[in-house]
Amino acid sequence: MDVPRTVTTALEDRPIEGAVCLEAGAGVGNATAGLLASGAARVYAVTDDRTHAETALERVRSPTDDDDTDDPRRARGRLAVLEADLRAIPLPDDAVEVITAHGLFNVVPPADLDAIARELTRVAAPGCHLLVDDYEPPPDDAAVRDLFALENAAAQLADGEPMLTFYPADALGRLFTGYGWTVDRHRTLLDPVPWTESHLEAHAEVVRSRVDALPAESELRAALLGRADTLVEAIGSESAGEMYGLALRRPE
Amino acid sequence: METRDLGSTGHESTVATFGAIALNWLEQEGANQMVELVLDRGVNHVDVAPTYGDAERKLGPKLRQHREEIYLGCKTQERDYDGARRKLERSLDRLGVDHIDLYQVHGLEYEAELEEITGDDGALAAFRDAKEEGLIGDIGLTSHGNPQLILDAMDRIDDLATVMFPLNPVVAAKGDDDHDYEAVLERAEEEGIGTLGIKAFAKGSWPSTEELPEADRPYANWYEPVDTPDEIRERFDFAASQGLSTVVTPGDPKLVAMVLDAATRYDGMAESEQRSLVEEARHDDSPVPEQLHH
Repeated sequence: MDVPRTVTTALEDRPIEGAVCLEAGAGVGNATAGLLASGAARVYAVTDDRTHAETALERVRSPTDDDDTDDPRRARGRLAVLEADLRAIPLPDDAVEVITAHGLFNVVPPADLDAIARELTRVAAPGCHLLVDDYEPPPDDAAVRDLFALENAAAQLADGEPMLTFYPADALGRLFTGYGWTVDRHRTLLDPVPWTESHLEAHAEVVRSRVDALPAESELRAALLGRADTLVEAIGSESAGEMYGLALRRPE
Repeated sequence: METRDLGSTGHESTVATFGAIALNWLEQEGANQMVELVLDRGVNHVDVAPTYGDAERKLGPKLRQHREEIYLGCKTQERDYDGARRKLERSLDRLGVDHIDLYQVHGLEYEAELEEITGDDGALAAFRDAKEEGLIGDIGLTSHGNPQLILDAMDRIDDLATVMFPLNPVVAAKGDDDHDYEAVLERAEEEGIGTLGIKAFAKGSWPSTEELPEADRPYANWYEPVDTPDEIRERFDFAASQGLSTVVTPGDPKLVAMVLDAATRYDGMAESEQRSLVEEARHDDSPVPEQLHH
């Protein structure tokens, strides 16, 4: 399993060994891989995306996989991928000791923040650690802002809500403080954030998938698609902005 | 330019080491000028090999003129006693000096080579005899290959003073054992072994020769390098921040001045910025180990 350094850095000062963990918004399972490699007793990877669920499972399955192995990186038996909404996590109260939200909140619309924070707090055991790793709003002069704005416009048209929201670390810190958590530490994980060609292409792909909902002959559809291609080509790649790592603690 | 302990050798190497393979691509006059430039920037460690074309001969004149200012590294690909001795004598002759400060096993790739080198009639026995005679100073090893093999070598060679190996964000981003040079760095640190970083400026492997004939490559490097001042500086700062004793300059003379400039201005790199470079390279193809033969 290939674990990004942002994940290993975020986890390095937390007691993962032997802990029951929850990866909130599993994506492709980066934090799940990191938690398992750090010796988590059990990881619940929660995602509402079927493809992500399959990818997360695939990543921890190696060709020589054997649930009896002692190798902590290959212990598939310690992983449960739950296909569920983070506003209704299928776990009992006080069930987990470590929660990661690695690159989660930038894809959570403002309207859903409270429900997710409440639910994460419900499943958190007393003394639980919460790791919120996310992006500060990109700087005003960052070219990627235009692509993100386009993505939000397309998502707004298709789904009625934005695709991306960049919450400053302070804002998420205050949100969770309101649910009884205390901020333990705040560190910079990436500065600058590399938005590579493949990242930009992935964001352009979101635009393309959302405009599918618009009528085929729509001028707006053609304009959005054209703009996405132009931006991807013009930006190429860019390093801009900051990824932060916030660690919070629920009182004992 | 910043200097650092080269392990327990007692020598403090500048954070940049001049890879004298660059001299192979220059006429003698240009080679002289390049060595003057390198020394003028404060570099005190020069690395060369008999396999670098005419580099030993072209280094010779300026090396002899500035011998006291230079910690001289050289190496051999010979694995047996007689071969290693012969190549050492030839290097001394071509360089025109009577002492090489660091003599290295060049390009270790296979376990069997390690067996041969450490055997009774192996190259290391020749190195040790030469050391007693005062022909060489410290003993080192270079490898572009499996980091585990370097660790094995560290276990088996008690008097190993330095190791040279690839280190760059592309390699650092790979989480597997084949690229775990971090483990080599850690062990070297524990055991007081000096570390020389190569391929710091590698962007990737060259396209196949069918796509891009060797003659059309814009740089005389074994790999496709980064080549803008900002990228060069980022890569230098990254490599120097990993804890290496020194970072070896790339093989193409056109890039050397930019690297020296970066080395002169080096003042560390924030950890978050190091992670940014690693993250950027996370999905890139590694130029190691595809282009082993250096």
